[in-house]
Order: sequence, then C-alpha cells, then structure tokens
Amino acid sequence: MRVSNWMNIDRRWIFLAMGLAIVVPLLLPMRLPMGVQEPTQGLFDAVDAIDPEKQCLLISSDYTPQTEAENHPMTVALLRHAFARRIPVISVVLYIEAAGLIDAAVKQVMAEFNARATTHADSIIYGRDVAFLGWQPPPIVPILSMGESITGIYPVDFYGTPSDSLPMMARIQDYDDVGIVAALSSSSSPLWYVMFAQTKFGVPVGAGCTAVMAPDFYPYLETGQLSGMMGGMKGAAEYEVLVERNFGITDRARANEGMGSQSIAHVVIMAFVVVGNIAFFATRRKEGQA
Amino acid sequence: MKSKLPLALLILMGIFGITSRFIPHPGAEALNAYLRDTLLRIISAFALILGLGNLILRHWSKIKKKEENYGSSYVLLISLTVTAIIGLFGGTSGEGILPTRIGEFSFDVNTLYDKVMIPLGATMFSLLAFYMASAAYRSFRAKNTLAFLLLASAFIVMLGQVPLGQALWSELPSVSHWIMTVPNTAAKRGIDLGITLGVTATLLKILAGIERSWLGGGS
Repeated sequence: MRVSNWMNIDRRWIFLAMGLAIVVPLLLPMRLPMGVQEPTQGLFDAVDAIDPEKQCLLISSDYTPQTEAENHPMTVALLRHAFARRIPVISVVLYIEAAGLIDAAVKQVMAEFNARATTHADSIIYGRDVAFLGWQPPPIVPILSMGESITGIYPVDFYGTPSDSLPMMARIQDYDDVGIVAALSSSSSPLWYVMFAQTKFGVPVGAGCTAVMAPDFYPYLETGQLSGMMGGMKGAAEYEVLVERNFGITDRARANEGMGSQSIAHVVIMAFVVVGNIAFFATRRKEGQA
Repeated sequence: MKSKLPLALLILMGIFGITSRFIPHPGAEALNAYLRDTLLRIISAFALILGLGNLILRHWSKIKKKEENYGSSYVLLISLTVTAIIGLFGGTSGEGILPTRIGEFSFDVNTLYDKVMIPLGATMFSLLAFYMASAAYRSFRAKNTLAFLLLASAFIVMLGQVPLGQALWSELPSVSHWIMTVPNTAAKRGIDLGITLGVTATLLKILAGIERSWLGGGS
C-alpha cells in the first residue's frame, strides 16, 4: 500500500480501531499511574475543609444522561468524600434530566456506607446526613433564591417530603451555611453559580465538568473564583483516587475503570492524525516533484 | 402600541433589574424576589408551551410535506405523545390511574428514563468519539507553523490528560497543565472580555431602544 493511499483509509477501519481501543481495556483492565492535578486537589481540599458541625456541601448536579460517563462518577466521589467526613450534603439539579441519576447516586452511596455501618451513628440517614431537594426551574431562580432561603425555594424534597421537616435543614438556611457549592455540569452552570451566587452571597464554588468544557473554566480557577475543578473523566478518576487514599474507600471507581479506554483511545486518535499527516506530506512532495 | 408596550416593559424591567442590586431597601428586594421567583417562572412555563407547540407544528408540517427524513418526525411525535400520556396518567412509578405494568414488564416514567433515555443519551454522546477520530484523521493537518503548534499542543494535552501520558513521561501532566493555565487562559480571557463587552454594548442599545430587532418585523 502506497503512503499516499493512507490519506483515504475507509472510516469503517477507524471506527473499528476506536471500538477496540475502547472495549478491550474495559474487558482487560490496565493499572496505570494516577497523579492528581492541582484543580482536582483544590476541590478536594475545599470540600475537606468544611466543618461538618457548621456547614454543608451543596452538590448541584446539572448534567444529562448524555454525559453520565464523565459527570456521574464525580457525584458519586463527592458523596463518598462528604459521607466519610460526615459533612451534611444537599443535592439539587438545575435540569430535570439529571434527577433520576442523582436519586440513584444518593441511594447507591448511602447503601455502600450503611453496609459497613455498625451503629446508627455510623449510618448515613436520609434527612439527617443528606437531602435530595430535586429540581426547580428555571436555573437562575434556585441559584439566587438559595441565598435567601433554601427551604423557601425547595418547599418539598425530590420525594415530596416537606424540606423543613428534614432534621438537617433546621440548621441549614441559606448560602451562609454552605461550605462550598460543587456544580457538576455538562454546560456552564458552575459559571452561573460564580456570577450570581458567589458575587452576591460570597459562597465558594467548585466545578466538575466534561473535558471539552474544562478550558472555559481555567480563567476562573486562576482568579480563585473557582476553588477547584474536576475536568472530565480524568478529574473524576483523580478525585476517586484521593477519596481512596485518604479514607480507604475501595468501592467501585467507575472513572478509574474508564482510564485505560480513554488512554488507548487518545493514542489511537493521535496515531490516525500522524498517519494522515505523513500521507498528506508524502502526497504534497510527490505533487511538487511532478 | 404593538412595539411600544413590549419596549416600555423591557426598559422598565431592565433598569429595575440592574438598579435593584444597588438598592438595599426591603421593598425593592421584595419586588425583585417576586419578579424572580413568581413572574419569571410563569414566563418560563409559557416558554415551555411555546417551545412544545413549535416542536409539534414543525414536525407535523414536515410529515405533511413529506420532507427528507420525515419518518423520524413520526418517531418524535409518537414518543412525545406516549410519554406524556404515561407521565400524566401513569405517574412516575406507576402510581397513577393508567396501568403501567404487564406482568414483569413495566413502562412507567421512571422505567422509561432508566431503560430508554439514559442508554439512548449515553449512546448518542459516545458516538462522538468515533466521529471525532475520523474527523481528526481527515482534517488535522500541520500545513504551516501555526497548525503545527496547534497539533503539538493538542497531542501534549491529549496525552497529559490520561494516565498513559504520565506513565510515558512523569512531567507530561505538568506541561499539559501549563498549556491549559497559561496560553489557554490568556486566550480565553481575551475572548471572554470581548464577548462581555459586546453583550454589554448590545444590552445598552436594547435598553436605550436603539436595537429593536428582537421585536420582530424587521424594523
């Protein structure tokens, strides 16, 4: 096969190579070194610094099923971190599509901790340690209103229980009682929290975003408006590693499981780009000689 | 009247929206909270109706005119109707008046969400990896110095963002992080400032009644 023909590889071969690059590492997991980058460490430290007696963690999970693979492990990792430190968690969603996913995540992580619990105090109790307040449209309304009254804008939780009847909500009134808002998103919702909640009420904000959104958030990390960030599945995997290292939690880490696939897929894309360029220059040289 | 009333309302609400932030009076704060928590939500509900109506009309018209891929419009309208009926009468977990279970097979809203929407959504997004690989192979060419720099940066960031990059060279994530925090942030900040200035200028033109294209009618 001539080098110039490499420019016209049938895209079905490319799809096959990508398919194998993704599937094989999932079936045959790889152990790769996992360093933690500054943005993820910043978010972990900000969450870890919350005093459980005084403040809570507010997780705003604003993603749709389309980005579940990247964003959902972030929610799970944050819940594990908060529960391990006994930090009360309030969970909300700005998009209705996320509600079912977050309901499942809260129940999953509660079940993990309660399976290990030996006493009532050890257990994670809904209403005492965590509350899922659900969805209130449009996004700007809950973002601003939570600065005045969280139970005011969420009169009932996701399950229809009056939110002011949940024990933990007795001491959590507004953003003053929130240690940090962790906005996990496939859109710009972390920036909405910075623009509207942080500038008006001063609440710290951290982000979790898809890899393609991450470059948009770096200017806000540099200024300190974002305390930290999980960027893409790699950011989620780094957070999972931090939770495992610091608290010995070895439950299933889905982002880490995906790192082998992502590594090989990136290499395959790069290989095709290199092949395409070699063919391009070979063709150009041949045309120049003719 | 047709254009003057919306314009007057916009100017009034726009000026109040900006100034209310600087007026620490309980009355102004209460009015601001009412506009935000009540009026804005009513308007949003109407926007939803408008969007839904527009979607139905657009696809109905596509079917009537037998436009390209009009079969997909049937799928959309049938799915929309069936899901709405199940949601309205069957409840989210089958607690409504409409039976949503036949033996072991259930089709309530929660089941549709878990078993249809999540897998379909994830499938749609995962296809991106395949198309991106194909598109990168066909179009990412180092034709000149700038394109070469872009390609080199992309390779460093792509490898630096996965553990394999760290396994190949332990400093690669740091180089990738530098690219993101220095050149990327500098460019992004410039773009953001430009966009913000443009948005502010447009906002002022709308508030001053100079920019009226949003009223429709072309004048």
